[in-house]
Amino acid sequence: MKTALRYIAASIALLAALAPVYWLITISLKREVDQFAYPPQWIGFAATLEHYRDAFSNASFGTYFGNSVLLAALSTLAALAAGVPAAYGLSRFEWARSWDLKIGDWILSTRMLPPIVTIVPLFLMLRQAHLLNSLIGLAIVYTGFNLPFVVWMMRGFFDEVPREVEEAAMLDGETRGGALLRIVLPLVKPGLAATAVFCLVVAWNEFLFALILTQTDSAMTLPVGIASRVTQYEIKWGAMSAAGVVAMLPVLVFASAAQKYLVRGLSLGAVKG
Amino acid sequence: MNTRVTSEKPRHSWRRLPQGFWWTLPSIVVLIALSIYPMIYSVRLAFGDLGNFTRLISDRTFGIATVQTIVLTAVALAAEFVLGLALALLVDSLSRAKSIFRAGLLVPMLLPPVVAAVAWRLIYNPQFGVLNGTLRQLGVNTSALTWTNGHNSALLSVIVVDIWEWTPFLFLLLSAGLQAIPPDPIEAARIDGAGPWRLFRDVTLPLLKPTILLALLLRAMDLVRIFDQIFILTQGGPGTATETVSLYIYRTAFRFSNFGYAAAMSFVLLAATMLFSRGLMRVMRAR
Amino acid sequence: MPLELTSITKRFGSREAVSGVSLTAGDGEFIVLLGPSGCGKSTLLRMIAGLEAPDSGSIRLAGRDITQVEARDRDIAMVFQSYALYPHMTIAQNIGYPLRVRKQPAAQIAEEVRKVAARLGLSALLDNRPRQLSGGERQRVALARAIIRRPKAFLMDEPLSNLDARLRVEMRAELKHLQHELRTVTVYVTHDQAEAMTLAHRIAVMRDGKIQQYDTPSCVYHQPANTFVAQFVGSPSMNLVEKSGEILGIRPEDVELSLVDQPGWSPARVYVTEEMGNETIVVLSDGSAQLTARAPAGFRAESDTPVWFRFRPEKLHRFDAASKIRK
Repeated sequence: MKTALRYIAASIALLAALAPVYWLITISLKREVDQFAYPPQWIGFAATLEHYRDAFSNASFGTYFGNSVLLAALSTLAALAAGVPAAYGLSRFEWARSWDLKIGDWILSTRMLPPIVTIVPLFLMLRQAHLLNSLIGLAIVYTGFNLPFVVWMMRGFFDEVPREVEEAAMLDGETRGGALLRIVLPLVKPGLAATAVFCLVVAWNEFLFALILTQTDSAMTLPVGIASRVTQYEIKWGAMSAAGVVAMLPVLVFASAAQKYLVRGLSLGAVKG
Repeated sequence: MNTRVTSEKPRHSWRRLPQGFWWTLPSIVVLIALSIYPMIYSVRLAFGDLGNFTRLISDRTFGIATVQTIVLTAVALAAEFVLGLALALLVDSLSRAKSIFRAGLLVPMLLPPVVAAVAWRLIYNPQFGVLNGTLRQLGVNTSALTWTNGHNSALLSVIVVDIWEWTPFLFLLLSAGLQAIPPDPIEAARIDGAGPWRLFRDVTLPLLKPTILLALLLRAMDLVRIFDQIFILTQGGPGTATETVSLYIYRTAFRFSNFGYAAAMSFVLLAATMLFSRGLMRVMRAR
Repeated sequence: MPLELTSITKRFGSREAVSGVSLTAGDGEFIVLLGPSGCGKSTLLRMIAGLEAPDSGSIRLAGRDITQVEARDRDIAMVFQSYALYPHMTIAQNIGYPLRVRKQPAAQIAEEVRKVAARLGLSALLDNRPRQLSGGERQRVALARAIIRRPKAFLMDEPLSNLDARLRVEMRAELKHLQHELRTVTVYVTHDQAEAMTLAHRIAVMRDGKIQQYDTPSCVYHQPANTFVAQFVGSPSMNLVEKSGEILGIRPEDVELSLVDQPGWSPARVYVTEEMGNETIVVLSDGSAQLTARAPAGFRAESDTPVWFRFRPEKLHRFDAASKIRK
C-alpha cells in the first residue's frame, strides 16, 4: 500500500514535468483549427507536419538552426582548445604558494559573473570591433562563457588520472606532450566528451547574449528566432512550437548521452555523482 | 614534476615562471579579455557619472524590480528545495523504474529556457491556454484567472514556471548527494534504534548538508539573474508586475541606450551574486 | 661506478626532504633504500628517475652526468608502487610500450613482448586489460615493462607493498633471481626491513633525509651505526637500555632466559608471551622497563611468572648516550 502511494506520487510528479512539453509537441502537430479547440485535445487529433514545413522552409528557422549549430560547434572547440591545456597545467604542475588554487578560483569566479553585468561592455566592445550581428562575435563571447567550465571540469578529470601513469610513460621515453596525447587524453576521453556536450548545450540554449548581440535574420540563433516570433503581435503558434520542438531535441539527445556526468557538469564538478 | 626548474646556467627570469603557467596562459588571456576588461569598462561606464548612483536610490522602478527579484528568488528557491528534496527521497525509495522517473523528471531543466517559456505561454493564455481550458472542463469559472496577464497573479505565475523548470536541478543534485551517503552510518543508526524520521534528521540530513548548500547557492545565483523566461512570458509586465533587475537593466541599456545607468545597476546585481559565490566557493573547497 | 650520487639535496618549501646524500652502486648491485615513511627515500629515487630535480648535487649513471637530463632520456626503468599500468592498453601493448615509443618495428616489438611475457608467466594474459588482472599479475606486467628494454638501471618504489603477505614473499624471491640474471644495477625503496635484508647487496638506511648507514645487510644487522638503525632493522627490535652514561643494545635472540635463578642473572617477570610456532617471543618486565627476548618454541610461561635473564656479553652493542652513535 505504502509502495503503491509512492509510485502514484512519483507518477504525478513525472506527469507534471512532462505535460507542458507534451502539450508543446501536440500544438506543433495540430492543424490550426485544433490547436486551441475547446475542450483541449490531448490525444486523437489529426496530426500534420505542415508547421514544421512552414517553419523551416518559409520562415527563417532553417537559417537560425544552422547558425545555432555552427555557433555551438565553434565556441565549444575554442573553449576546449584553450581550457584543456589550462586544466592540465593546474592539475599537473607544482605551483609555488598554491597559485594553482588561486588561479583556479579566479577562473571559476569569472563564470559566476551575471551575464547582464558584462553584456553592456561586451556589446559596446563588439560594436567597436564591428562584430555585432556576426556569429564570430557571439562565438567569442560563448568561448569566454564556457572556458571556466571547461577548466573546472577537466581539471577534475585530470586529477583522477594517477600521476604515476604519466611518469611511467615519461620514463618509458615519452615527452610530456607525448604522455598527454597518448596516455592521459585517452584516459580522460569520456570526461572530455561530457565536457564538450555541456558546452554545446550551454551555447545551444543561451538566450541573453544572443538576443543582444545578434539582431539580424542572418545571424540570429534559434532561441532568439523563436523569441522574436513570440513578441510579435500576431503569433504563428504552430510554426513556433515546431521550432521549439526542433530546438529541444538535440539537447535531450546530448543530455542522455552524457547522463553519467550530468550531476558533475551541473555542479561545476563539485559533486562527483 | 618539472624536471627542469633548476639549471646550471642562469636564465631569464620569465623562464623561472612555473611551467604550468604556460599551459594556463591562453585561458587567462581569453578570460581577461572577456571578463576582466569588460568589468573595468563597466566600472568606467557606471562611475563616470556618479549621478547614476544617486538616480538609483530615487528610481521607483528599480526599487520594485529589486524587491520582486528578492521575492522571486526566495519563494522559488524555497519551493524548489522542498520539492526537490521530497522528490529525491521519494525516487530514492523506489525499487523499480528508478531510472525512468529520474530521466523523465530531468527534462524541464534541459530544455532551452526559451522553449520552456513558449510552452508555458501556450498553457497560461487566458483565452485559449490549456490550463484554463482544462479548468473550464472541470466546471471552474476561469474568467478571473488571467495568470501571467493579471497584475496580481503574474509574478506567482512566473515563479511557478521557474519551479517547474528548476526543481529538477535540486532533485538531481540532492539525489546524487543521497546516493553518495555511505550506508554504514545509516545502518549503525538503525541498529542503535533510530526510526525513519530520526534517521532522516540525525543522519541523512547532516550528511547531505554540503550538497544542499552547494545546490542552493548555485540555484540562488541563477535566480537573482533570471531573464529568459520572464522575457518570453511577460516582458516584465503587465505594468511592472514581473519586472526584475536583469530585465530592467536590459531595457535601460538596449531600449533606452542608457549604458552608464545600466552598468551602475548591474553592480548591485554583482554584489548580490558575489555574496552567494563566496559562500559557494567555500563549500566547493570544503568538499 | 655505474651509479653515483654526490651530495644530493632537495627542498620542498622550507623542508629539506633529502639533505646531502652521497651514494654509489657498483655493477649489477642491488641497493635498497630503507627507512620510515617521510625519510626521503622515495624523493631520492624520483630524483634518480628524473621525476624531480635536485636543488644541488649531481647524479651520474654509467659515466654520464644525468643530473639535467630529462627522465625519458636517462634510460632508466621504474616500477611504481601502484604499478602505473596504462589502463587503456592491453597487457601486450603495456609491455611493448617503451619499445614503441622508441619506434622499433612492430614485428620486433611483438617478438620481444612474447619473450618477456613467457619469462614472467604472462603469456596467457597478453590480450587482457590491466583491470582484469590480479594484483600479482599486474606486478609482473610492471616488471615486464621495465625489463623489456634492458635499461641501464632499475628503480623500484615499494613494488611489493600492495600484495598480500604470501605473494609478497614469493615475488621477493622471483625479483631477486631476476635481478641476478639481468645484472643491472637496481635501486629499491622499501620501509620493510625484511624485504631490505633479503633483497639487498647493500642497504642504505635513511632517516630525515640523511643516510644513517650504507652497508651490507649483515653489517647493518650486526654492527648498526646508531640506535636508529639498530632499532629499525631486525624484528622484534633491538632492546636498548640506558646504563651509566651509555646505551646498551641487545637483540632479542641474544637475551638468555631461565625459569630458575642462576648466578649473575637478573630477575624479572613475564609480561606476555607470543607463540610464533617456530619460536616464542617473550616480553619481560622488571618493574621499570620492558625487554623482548626470543625463546625456543617449547618455552611456556604464564604472564607474571618469575624468570631470570642475562645478555650474551659478546653480543652487546654500545652506543654513545648523547650522539646515539655506535662506540
